[in-house]
Amino acid sequence: MTLAVVIILCAVGLFFSLSGVVGILRMPDVYTRVQCSSKTITLGALPLLAALVVAEGPVSPYGSRALIVAALLLIVNPLASHALVRAAYKTGVPMWSGAVADEPAEQRANDERADDD
Amino acid sequence: MTDVYAAVCIAELLIVGLLLIRLARGPSVTDRIVALNTISTQCGLAVLFFAAFADRTIYLDVALWLSSFSYLGAIVWARYLERGLL
Repeated sequence: MTLAVVIILCAVGLFFSLSGVVGILRMPDVYTRVQCSSKTITLGALPLLAALVVAEGPVSPYGSRALIVAALLLIVNPLASHALVRAAYKTGVPMWSGAVADEPAEQRANDERADDD
Repeated sequence: MTDVYAAVCIAELLIVGLLLIRLARGPSVTDRIVALNTISTQCGLAVLFFAAFADRTIYLDVALWLSSFSYLGAIVWARYLERGLL
């Protein structure tokens, strides 16, 4: 029973990790790639860590370390992704030609128009 | 159970191999940092599962430090790109 749960959790985790990597390889610009690396990779890593917790028990050395890594991933991965995208936008990495929204630029344009009036 | 651990470890290493393509090709620096960050996460997971496979608790600390310092590295890179060397 435990083995079946562990195998299912590992399969789900590896599927999402693989789909995140395909997204990082195939997405057209850096902003969409960061989306894959933050959301999908987190969703892929958490079932794998849960599989380790289920297999070894939460108070074993492996299970407790897996829980610590999961908490760290949940806290710091969005933070690092946000900082990276912010740095990419400020250094002027171009968006994909099909992008439909650039809200900071629109905001700046609105402010300049208000200054002119 | 060790078979499952070994399979997950090998699969993670294959995923890292795919990510190396983006690390080599990425048009901007940020693409490479994103790929490197993801590689660190996946390597940490692989080391964690290898520790469970080989039944050696000493590798667990390697996985823990690898995952924590990879994110620290990403934040430092972002700060460097944004403000330069200070």
